[in-house]
Amino acid sequence: MATNAIRALHPMTKFTFALFVTAAVIAVPSYLFAYAMFAALLVIAAAAGVLREFFAFVLKTLVVLLIIVFLMQLLFYPGDDIIGGWWVFTLTQEGLAYGLLLTSRILAIGSAFILFFRITEVKDFVKALENMGLPPAGAYVVLSTLQIIPEMRRQSNVIMDAQKTRGVETEGSVLVRAKAFLPTLTPLILSAIASTEERAITLESRAFSAPVNKTSLHTLERRPIDTGLIALFTIGAVALIVWRVAVWIL
Amino acid sequence: MDPVIQLKNVSYRYPVGDEQVLKNVSLDIGRGKLVTIVGNNSAGKTTLCNLIRGFIPHFYKGDLEGSVLVDGEEIADAQLGQLAEKIGYVFQNPFIQISGVKETVFDEVAFGLENLGVPVDDIRRRVEDVLQLVKIDNLRNKNPFELSGGQRQRVALASIIVMDPDILVIDEPSSQLDPVGTEQVFDIIRLMKERGKTIVLVEHKMDLIAEYADELIVLADGEVKLHGPVREVFADPSYMALGIQYPHAAALALDLQEKGMELPFLPIRDEEVAECLARARRKEGRP
Ligand SMILES: Nc1ncnc2c1ncn2[C@@H]1O[C@H](COP(=O)(O)OP(=O)(O)OP(=O)(O)O)[C@@H](O)[C@H]1O
Ligand SMILES: [Mg+2]
Repeated sequence: MATNAIRALHPMTKFTFALFVTAAVIAVPSYLFAYAMFAALLVIAAAAGVLREFFAFVLKTLVVLLIIVFLMQLLFYPGDDIIGGWWVFTLTQEGLAYGLLLTSRILAIGSAFILFFRITEVKDFVKALENMGLPPAGAYVVLSTLQIIPEMRRQSNVIMDAQKTRGVETEGSVLVRAKAFLPTLTPLILSAIASTEERAITLESRAFSAPVNKTSLHTLERRPIDTGLIALFTIGAVALIVWRVAVWIL
Repeated sequence: MDPVIQLKNVSYRYPVGDEQVLKNVSLDIGRGKLVTIVGNNSAGKTTLCNLIRGFIPHFYKGDLEGSVLVDGEEIADAQLGQLAEKIGYVFQNPFIQISGVKETVFDEVAFGLENLGVPVDDIRRRVEDVLQLVKIDNLRNKNPFELSGGQRQRVALASIIVMDPDILVIDEPSSQLDPVGTEQVFDIIRLMKERGKTIVLVEHKMDLIAEYADELIVLADGEVKLHGPVREVFADPSYMALGIQYPHAAALALDLQEKGMELPFLPIRDEEVAECLARARRKEGRP
């Protein structure tokens, strides 16, 4: 059980926060603001005790994307205020500004959701969705898919080992590994298909389609602080959007 | 007799098969009886289980003739979702019987009760009881994906009996178990019988059948060749021609009979052998 105060919050509270960050960085057209949001996310991650995993995951998933997006804007964004040139490209102030803004937004929004999944257990999130009306079959599909992934990876390793003992080269360059990996997909996919039928019968034998309301050993606690925070984030997000639209119209 | 399960002239062919897997099967299974089904590979044992549980015709289509009644109700007319509470079915393959959404054995066993809408406090109590009964309390916090075949088989059994159905259909529950594990599973089956459950069991271990079962059904090529009280089926002269094992005791006695010894009765349990031999000697006029 999560004993950390942040992780103990209701999944919807955390989710609303991620949405709030999204609304905020879109409403406020300033890259400094968006980068500040990212800094705030780092602080929250630290407080939740997941700073290292969070930061590593952001580095792994977002940084390459951000660099590409930034360079694209810098090199191709049209503008008049020329600040330099490189090879056949002219660099403009507008391109720089837009590149910074866009990347800062992607960084803030992406990290907000990465942080959400770092501090929320999938089964809690699915449970919350179920409480909001997601049908049990849908919840089952989401949960079982996420649980099956590590199982598939395990199976794939078993098959790889089997290939290796047959003398198939499984280590080395990307090409060599791809060659070794592709044949493992067939048995993996075949067994996945075969097991859906069996899965359906298994579920049936466990009364999954019984015409009653299910109960659950796993329940989510929604405390006053959750209600308060959700209200706060919602009002905050709505206020920022209204402000933005007002500025825009007037 | 008060039959709980009745099959009348049932024939069945799977959608992708060209042959009938069950041919004109008729049988009654009495309430509270422990009935074992034996037969060689692909005789149709699992198919018969699927039929009783209603997976045929609700899940597997194909050609079904005749009728299957459970508690007097035509299974084809029943709602599949309502059958789980009435008939528990433990599959032959323990590797597929995992919900795939639970992280611990405890939650896995509780899954069926959650689906039945049982109040949470009752669920906890019932799962605790079953974990003790099936002797898997030590596995309670393990991930169901990370169990051995034998462990999975027990978890599968626990997951079904926790729902407390009146009828249990159990397909080869001991295939992955060592002798100790097999004995334990049979202890549980006996306990279920004492609680008044009707049990249909597919099993190959003849000594255990001789010890525990009331009736024996012999299937071959989709036909019921023999059906009756265990002792009568083993003693039936046509049993030998079916190429199915005897219990140890019976095999031994039949050997002696072939060598010229006259048997007063056919022993089917080890402890009956001495009695049988003693009586045979007395009959021959020796003290
Ligand atoms: N889903 C299916 N689709 C098509 N044919 C099937 C299917 N399941 C079983 N069969 C066929 O039905 C026949 C009987 O199979 P069944 O599984 O009932 O045998 P069994 O007596 O349980 O055998 P075993 O001892 O190997 O478990 C076999 O010839 C098999 O190929
Ligand atoms: Mg079978």
